[in-house]
Amino acid sequence: MEQVKITAALIVAVLLQWTLRNVAEPLTFIDFPLIIVVYAALRGSSIRALFYATFAGIAVDALSGGLLGANGFSKTLIAFIVSEIVRRVYVDNLLLRIPVIAGACLLNDLVYYGMHRLLGQSPTGQFVPTVAYTLIGTTIAGTIIYLILDRFFAENIRKGKREVFAPRRQTRRRNPIRLGSRR
Amino acid sequence: MAERSQKEVWKITPWLMLLLLLCNFALMAFDARQTNTQQRVIRVWAQTAADFVQSPVTFVGSAITNYFSSISSMRTAQSENDVLKQRVQELEIEVQTNKGLTVENERLKSLLELKANTNYKFLSAQVIGRDTSAWFDTSIIDRGSLDGVKLNMPIVTNGGLVGRVTAVSPLTAQVALITKDKAGLGAVVGTLEVSNANGVVSGSGQKEILEMGYVPGSIEVKIGESVYTNGQDGIYPAGLKLGEVIEVRADSATQPQRIFIQPSAKLSAMQEVAVLLYEPPPRPEFEKTLPNAKKK
Repeated sequence: MEQVKITAALIVAVLLQWTLRNVAEPLTFIDFPLIIVVYAALRGSSIRALFYATFAGIAVDALSGGLLGANGFSKTLIAFIVSEIVRRVYVDNLLLRIPVIAGACLLNDLVYYGMHRLLGQSPTGQFVPTVAYTLIGTTIAGTIIYLILDRFFAENIRKGKREVFAPRRQTRRRNPIRLGSRR
Repeated sequence: MAERSQKEVWKITPWLMLLLLLCNFALMAFDARQTNTQQRVIRVWAQTAADFVQSPVTFVGSAITNYFSSISSMRTAQSENDVLKQRVQELEIEVQTNKGLTVENERLKSLLELKANTNYKFLSAQVIGRDTSAWFDTSIIDRGSLDGVKLNMPIVTNGGLVGRVTAVSPLTAQVALITKDKAGLGAVVGTLEVSNANGVVSGSGQKEILEMGYVPGSIEVKIGESVYTNGQDGIYPAGLKLGEVIEVRADSATQPQRIFIQPSAKLSAMQEVAVLLYEPPPRPEFEKTLPNAKKK
């Protein structure tokens, strides 16, 4: 069920990316598909995240003046890196997800720009402002979207209680009397 | 189908990533080979699918914007009305004068046996989508191959030249703006057929600023002069306005001056455009036989 929900979220993200720039120019600095790809990777479904990344990247590239496959390349790489981070580090709370989405966005922009330069293309947007605005826009939007996705999609989150901070492991108290009596 | 264990998934993931990266890289390399067109099967299908989403969103978006702008414009309507009434009276006098001038112009033309300028056919179109990436500036219009739009057809607004068609689907077309770095086009500073200041105009790396190069250093270019297409690039017809010169910088010996141009068309805020149904004349035979000519 979760798979269907994330796929639906990805399709909505691609549609938003296709349309929102014509409604308001600043919305172009939010990378909606990247937010969902990172979310899928954070949920621990690494193989699915890779496929989502390639599909979303090519769908975005198809309506862009950039190279076909550039977004697919950068997003696939991001999905893999985030999956590897999730494998090693506990990032299942909102505050830890913020640096993950910010880092993913920065790396995505660097790889995207780098691939274009490597293949002799010059993007029209200026490097520093575009990277900075995309970083700010995607991080803010990503944080809000993760809150919404956790609220509506995740099944393992209890109703009315969201874990913003990592749950602290509680040590079990032992009864000293019983300890002494046991043999 | 048996579910994979976590260990198996960890083993597969790097290989799958490499495979997908290779596929994407191959796609990129293929796309980068041809710089003058972006016509690809994936693009055509995606654009056709996107039209069903982009058109309604643009329609609703512009309806809401128009509603609010009409409310705000009501406030200034009375004062504008008085000004316009006065302007109409002035224009009536001007029209009468111009009628006389037109008759005189026609008479002089016939005397000189000048051929009438060929008027190109236009196809009005609406911008329904903008580039999905913040790095590029292409636009999607709601006219496609079913309306007669073809690759490389020029796109204009009442301000001047906007760009050209780089990919066509049956319902929509993708437009690359003249500010795109690779889009070099032949242009002339000053009046066409009078001025010798021919050069190549391309994007400058800044938004809404064009750069013109290869203009001979012996020709003085002044700030404020208009720049027009000269028709030598084999894509755009001659005489389309590009913009005005805003800066002239002295450069190297091989390229004596760099000219910066402000496009006359508002590229970032265009909603309505026109597709110029113009097809360039076929290349002469000797050009096709040159050793560096592109072979099909």
